[in-house]
Amino acid sequence: MMENLTAGRLLRANTRACVVGCHIRQSPPDFGSMIFIPNQDGKTFGLVYDIHVDDDGLVRQLASTENVSEEVIQDNRLNRNTPIEMSILFIGYEANQMIFHSLPPHPPLSLDKVVLCSENEIRRFTSFGHFGYFRSILNNPELPAADLTAAHLNLAYQAQPLKDRERWKNAAVEMIITLLRDNPNMLNQVLFAVSDIFSPQSNAQEA
Amino acid sequence: MSQKQLPGQSIPIGYVIDGGLKANLRIRLSVPPTTTREGSFIVIKSGNWQFYGIATDLQLGAVDPRFADTSSSQHFPVDIAAQFKKQTLHTDMVVMPALMLESGPEPGTPAYAAWQEEIDRGEREAPSLLPVKTIPSHQSDAFLANAGDIAEIFGKPEQDGYFIIGKTREQDHPVCINLDKLIQRSSGIFGATGTGKSFLTRIILSGLIKHDRASVLVYDMHNEYGLDDTASDTGLNVKGLRSLFGKSGVQIVGLGSGADIRGISPDFNLTLSCNDIMPEDIEMLSRELNLRETTAATLDALVQAFGRTGWFKAFKDMETEGTVFDGEKMVPSPESVTFWANNHGVHPMAAKGLHSKLKRLFNKKYILDNPPSDSIQAVIEALKKGRHIVLSFGKYETDLDYLLISNLLTRRIREEWERTTNIFRNGRGPEPRQLVIAVEEAHKLLNREIASQTTFSTIAREMRKYYVTLLVIDQRPSQIYDEVMSQLGTRVCGWLGDDDDIHAVLSGLAGRDALRGMLARLQPKEEALLLGWGVPMPILIQSRRYDDAFYAEMKNKSKKGLDQQRAIEALYPD
Repeated sequence: MMENLTAGRLLRANTRACVVGCHIRQSPPDFGSMIFIPNQDGKTFGLVYDIHVDDDGLVRQLASTENVSEEVIQDNRLNRNTPIEMSILFIGYEANQMIFHSLPPHPPLSLDKVVLCSENEIRRFTSFGHFGYFRSILNNPELPAADLTAAHLNLAYQAQPLKDRERWKNAAVEMIITLLRDNPNMLNQVLFAVSDIFSPQSNAQEA
Repeated sequence: MSQKQLPGQSIPIGYVIDGGLKANLRIRLSVPPTTTREGSFIVIKSGNWQFYGIATDLQLGAVDPRFADTSSSQHFPVDIAAQFKKQTLHTDMVVMPALMLESGPEPGTPAYAAWQEEIDRGEREAPSLLPVKTIPSHQSDAFLANAGDIAEIFGKPEQDGYFIIGKTREQDHPVCINLDKLIQRSSGIFGATGTGKSFLTRIILSGLIKHDRASVLVYDMHNEYGLDDTASDTGLNVKGLRSLFGKSGVQIVGLGSGADIRGISPDFNLTLSCNDIMPEDIEMLSRELNLRETTAATLDALVQAFGRTGWFKAFKDMETEGTVFDGEKMVPSPESVTFWANNHGVHPMAAKGLHSKLKRLFNKKYILDNPPSDSIQAVIEALKKGRHIVLSFGKYETDLDYLLISNLLTRRIREEWERTTNIFRNGRGPEPRQLVIAVEEAHKLLNREIASQTTFSTIAREMRKYYVTLLVIDQRPSQIYDEVMSQLGTRVCGWLGDDDDIHAVLSGLAGRDALRGMLARLQPKEEALLLGWGVPMPILIQSRRYDDAFYAEMKNKSKKGLDQQRAIEALYPD
């Protein structure tokens, strides 16, 4: 992963989430990726929880046309006017060199640059405190919480120093269970998703 | 599972989640349930106070019942499954709080120093154990008691009068019994057959003798306490009290002249004079001799005719059926029971019936017309001098012998101790020697039918003021009269299977509902529950072994202190 890759620019936002637009040529970040949006005091951190490709009139026409050539398809993809949109969930912020696992005091502004977090930034954010940002992920019924959590844990796990990975993972799972133990259905879904990632089979394939 | 800990180290096991004085406290365990057990001695630290209690139940629980139904090991990787179980499944321990002690602020802090100074200056009462009157706060930490906690509550083995009776089941910390308190009131040792009652009794009696806390009189119905014996289960030699403490300390008394106990001659023999037998001794045997309602009237007439000390001999010498010819017809002879009955307003059939039934006593070889000495008085004198007596019944093992001898001897003892106590209280004599009478098969003497007629119930109720208490040993405590059971201070109880027996042992005690299950689930051997007035709080113990190490400690000349310390090290090397 390249350091501090720009993920796009902010389209709209509130204090809980924002939508970011980017061009397909920018290789939009993966689902579950962690981004930050720089501001005057520091950064606002977020997770990509949705990536959507909206249509326009030309796409609709092309979709209903037979035998669309590869050139046309590529031209439509690369030169489209409508950006790829990413929904970002805010999970914390940094102000005066301090990390906070809570919602930012104010939303970022439109066209703010959105940057993909480096491993160092992921490690710094995720190893701070006691996973307070899990609240934002797990308590939002509109999110695909199980998959988002699993994707985030996978990414963050890889960002931890090798010697700390298991300890970090165990602490993260413990917090997930603590937060969801009053919600058996949700807990099961999240743990199943997490288990898929961390099961021995997955690890073997990864290795 | 045995969990070892360093001296002074407390093992944290969880924290208080709810409960109350009546409902007991609930501890959420942070350790596997197998780390603790029912009966564990628990310390809860809450602010400046420590609470002491006993675990009475362990319960599995889940944050949501669905978590318990899900087999996490099948669905999740091992580490996640472990986390899942840890967070969603739990074990709660129910703790019956018993005592509380102000421990003050954290030692080493300025607050502690100030607190201690207040005590030293007399501005604050020195902390002492109190019955629990309040409860620890939420989330107070709970610990398995360490050796110091046990010693704080039950006393230190090196203290005078404290005797190790066993050890805690989980950590093997020695548990002492305060012998002075034990003998202040009557006490009981209970347990079904084969649960180690006799060994426990030997251990406690040894402690009393070793620490010279009281003279001990043992009614040894089955000849197992005085001389060496062979254990019925292991076949190993078991030392008797005489072997442990020598002839000068423990004397074996055999019933009847020429008695022997398994081929060994006793130190002296106990014989009764006809004069010793009082009408009340006979009335107490009503059930055993199948006496009628007319017995009391007949006995009264006999006493009126021959006196309290002469009636038995006179009645014994009468002929049951003697007749003479008066010149006209056959009439009762002057030596006959009928003749006497006719002349004293007693129905002849009632007198003849009693005479016939008393023949079982008349024929007893240990009841003599003119015994060579007053052996009952000899027993009493030995006890007064601080000796210990084991009265072996030898071949006289019937209930009739046991009831008659034990009641008669105890009645004489009671009279003597009442007399000497009254002299002492009047300032005209020395303080009487404390006496403990150990009674085996106590239900035979203390059952509902005859308890009120025997001296034993009087001793259990009143005689602590006169320096005499009972050590009741029985396997059917439910058969013992309630009024007597309620007077028993200390109760040492092995496994009991019968609900009525369990109920009887716990009668009159606080928290009996919680303790009932514990009693029912004791190990069949070597486990006992100590409870009652003589111990600060109930505690489950693994009883001390009656083995070579114990013998060595008892045979050591020193009474206490260092030898006990050596014994602790020998017994509990870990």
